[in-house]
Order: sequence, then C-alpha cells, then structure tokens
Amino acid sequence: MYSRSSLRSGNKALRCLQCGQKRGLAAPASGSFAYQTGDAAGTKFASRDLSGPTTTLALVAKAGTRFQTLPGLTEGLQNFAFRNTEKRSALRVVRETELLGGELSAYHSRENLVIGAKFLRDDLPYFVELLSEVASQTKYQSHVYTEDIVPLIKLSQKKFLASTKAMALSSAHALAFHRGLGTPLYPSSSNAVSKYLNAETIEEYAQNAYSKSNFAIVANGAEHSEVTKWVGEFFKDFSTSGSGLSGEQSKYYGGEERIAHASGNTMVLAFSGSTSHTGSSYKPEIQVLASLLGGQSSIKWSPGFSLLSKAGASFPGATIDTKSVIYSDAGLLSVTIDGSAKDVASAAAEAVKTIKAIAGGSIAKEDIKKAIANAKFAELESGQNINTGIELTGAGLVHGGKAYQLDETAKEIDGVTEEKVKQAAKTLLEHKASISAVGDLYILPYATELGLNV
Amino acid sequence: MSQPSLAKFVIKRPWLKRWMTPLANWYVDAAGYRKLGLRADDLIPEESDTVLLALKRLPPKEAYDRVFRMRRAFQCSLSHQLLPKEEHTKVEEDVPYLTPIIEEIEAELKEREDLEAMVVNKKPSRT
Repeated sequence: MYSRSSLRSGNKALRCLQCGQKRGLAAPASGSFAYQTGDAAGTKFASRDLSGPTTTLALVAKAGTRFQTLPGLTEGLQNFAFRNTEKRSALRVVRETELLGGELSAYHSRENLVIGAKFLRDDLPYFVELLSEVASQTKYQSHVYTEDIVPLIKLSQKKFLASTKAMALSSAHALAFHRGLGTPLYPSSSNAVSKYLNAETIEEYAQNAYSKSNFAIVANGAEHSEVTKWVGEFFKDFSTSGSGLSGEQSKYYGGEERIAHASGNTMVLAFSGSTSHTGSSYKPEIQVLASLLGGQSSIKWSPGFSLLSKAGASFPGATIDTKSVIYSDAGLLSVTIDGSAKDVASAAAEAVKTIKAIAGGSIAKEDIKKAIANAKFAELESGQNINTGIELTGAGLVHGGKAYQLDETAKEIDGVTEEKVKQAAKTLLEHKASISAVGDLYILPYATELGLNV
Repeated sequence: MSQPSLAKFVIKRPWLKRWMTPLANWYVDAAGYRKLGLRADDLIPEESDTVLLALKRLPPKEAYDRVFRMRRAFQCSLSHQLLPKEEHTKVEEDVPYLTPIIEEIEAELKEREDLEAMVVNKKPSRT
C-alpha cells in the first residue's frame, strides 16, 4: 500500500518533471560537451555534466595488456575488481549496488583497464568510495584467485581461441608491434595461469597499476563541484607502494603469420597507422582512408559508397571491415575479412587491388568527400558514446594530463585533402604490411600472392 | 564446522582461567591425540561442506603436512603403538591452522544469510 505522503511526493516529482520541460528555447539543452578536469591531491579526474538522471563513473588505469609485466596480469587484475576489500566482502558490494540499482563493470583494452559503475545521480559518493576501495584496499586472497578468477581467465582464453577474428587481429598486432602493443588482449596460452599468475603477482601489479600517477577518474553526468568534493574526500589518503607502469615506445615491424583453425576463416591486412591526437604522429588522413575503404554500409538498402563494400558485394560469403585502430604512440589501419575461405581469399585480393588503385590516384573526388564526412561522424559519434569517451578521456589524462577533446580531432579530419589520402595509401604500400591468416590455410592466400610487401 | 568451545567464556574470567588451565592441560594430554602426532584441528570432522571448502583453501604445504600426520596416526593406530616420545606433538606445535579458515567461511555464510533476511528501508530522497 502506498502511504498518503509518498503519493504526495510523487505528485511533486511529476510537477518538477513538467517544470523541467518548460525551459526557454534559447537555453542550452544540456551541460557542456567538453570535459572539465581537476586534480585532488594528485588524483586526476575529469567530469562533464550531461543532463539526465544517471551517472557513469569510471577509473581508467594505464594498465592494459601493453603494460603488463607477466602474461595475463591485466586479465587477473580486471577480475579482482569488486572482490573482497578490507572493509567489506564481495557479496556486500554486489548486494549494496543492487539495492542502489547500480551497475558495475570492469574491462580492459590494450592500453587501459577500466573499472566502472553506472548509477543514479544521487549515489555518487557511494560509488566514488567504492572505486577508491577497489583500487587501494582490495584483498588479493589466493582462495579468491583459485576459486573465482582462474575459471574466468580460462573461459576468456577459450573464447579467444575459438574466435578466428580475435586471433587474427591479435596476431596482426603481434606482427606489427612484437612486444608491448603486440601482447594478446586475452591470455592465449595456459602458461599464463600455470606459470606466471598467482594472487601475489597480481597484487604487485595492482600496486603499480593503481598508483596515483597511473590512473584517472572520469565522470559523465555529474556536477563538477560534486565530483571534486567526493574525489577529494575519498582519494585523499590514497596511496599504494607502486610507482606506476611504463611501456617502451612502440615500433612498427610487420610480417606474415598463418594459423590453422577449423572453425572459421579470417584474414587481417594491417598497415602502420596513426597515433591518437595527443600522440606524436597523428595522421587524420589514415582515418579518412579507413572510411574510404570501409566495408560496412552505414545506410539501409545499399552497399554504400565505401570501396570495399562495393567490391565485397560480389563475395556475399565474406564480411569486410576496415578500422583505424589508434593507440597513444602507434596505430594500425586494419582490413578484417571474415567468412568462407574462398570468398575471404578473393575479397583479400580485391582489397589489395583497391588500396593500389587509391595509391595510383584513380579515385573519385566525390568518394573522398563522403569518406571525410563519414570519418568525422564516426569520430564524433564514438567520442560522444559514453563508454568510449570515458576510456579516451581517462587515457588522455593519464598519458598527457589533457582530456581528449573531440572538436580538435574533428577539425583535423575536415582539413584532409585528396592528395593527402593518396599519399597515405602510397606510404602504406611502401612499408611492410602485417598479414595474418587464420583458418583454412590451403585456400587462404600468402601475402606475396596478394602482391603485398612483408 | 568449528568445535563448540567455552574457551572465550573462561578466558574472560582470570580466576576461572587459573583454575581451569591445569584441568585443560590434563584433559588434552589424556585425549591422547598428541601421542599419535596429531594436532587438535586434525580432529575436526570433515563431513561438512564448510570444512571441505576450508581444506581446499589450505596452503599446499599445510595440506601436505596434514595428510602426513593422519597417515602416521593411522599406522600407529593399526599397529597398536604410540609414537616415540620425541615425535609427540609439542604443545607449541598444536596450533589451530584450520579453525581460522573455517571461521572465515562461517562468517561469509552468516553475512550471506543476514543479507538475505535483510529488510530494506528506503531513505528519504535527498533533493
């Protein structure tokens, strides 16, 4: 039964909703699009006040697979998030979060480890405290490791080995960058568990991963003053004995790798790409080239303008996708072709022909214009997407003390000319490519058969 | 399942403790497990999920030593013999190695039950 008072307060809420809708036409629709940054006793944080009842909060640590000192550490640390801490048990964390209606997540990329939470705006203090607790007071108990974490790591390894796409991408990264960025995203052999990982090694890694200079807090949909206040309070006495993680400067190598696999066929043709905007060699033309090659249609009922989706129309058994994968100090332009062996083989040949045609200059002006527009949209859209935005912003703060600002990147993409795109395609072909074929090796072609330089 | 114990009750009262200690020492010695090289925690019945889980959580060295002590005790029992005096478990060796783990697991279970039985009161909205 509802009491009278709760009904009354419900009415008030309803009235408030209506008054919120009565905003003047000239008033801004939401908070600022760019992040405001701050520093609380050495802990960097950024926030932006998107209007809305929920907040997304995350701790972004520079502790992705690239920085791990032993294989599998990042995966292990990720799975230790929200486990028993000095103050409360894992079960309690879960139950409390459920009662508040929140959502917890932990994931990693090659460069970052993200520990995140989504919740109602009012609960900000609780979750800021929780993140601080996870980072500084997690108990790395060996029974938690053997009972809960080892099975999870084994599952992720199985999942990784079952997917030809993940294997091919990982193999292309390994060819391109060897160590560092080339480290597989998930442990690729059982060595990680049997030889290198245990609760102590993970704890040691955590000390470095969660040292003050190595992570940043990013909030979406929270007032900056609130974030400043609570981060200041809960990260005040924050300290770990570690001194941060650092990797070597990435260098591009290139080469070819072929892996037999029974359950699918994937080829990845990867070339040296562009760093992120905060990195040393940012090349917006690579992003445009990726859009131009494309492969996936962005509109309904048509293959779209991108060259590879047009070319791929005659190979319905293969899906083609071109991505410009960007890291802080290196990048890859990768064409992923996935599907039945024969179609993958012919589509790969077609893709190489297309890149050569762009380098040769036989490309319509119209297409480049469309590619620029598409690249700009994709960039802005991915930055606006809260999850990718959080990781980019956090990484920007940790690496360079500067939040990732979309507007500048978009401007750079706008400034790309036709000449630059052709030049970029030419340099791709001049340097060594990283070619990885996973699947039916009898049919999948070698790099030399495709006419690529490895 | 840890053993029921009056120890806390007794330790709180120094006069009672002084009175009980010789009695306890006599009882433990008379129980005879030390003469078979066992420790008190080796006698905890294994037939419960809690204890089985606790045994899994023992560090490998402890688990190995436990099995060794038990096999030695079985052997002695079968051959109707006691260990030579120097191999008896010494008083300072007879420490609880399993009880802390069992207590930890019981605390976990209790917390789970408490959370399950919890009644949620919604706090008034802050705005």
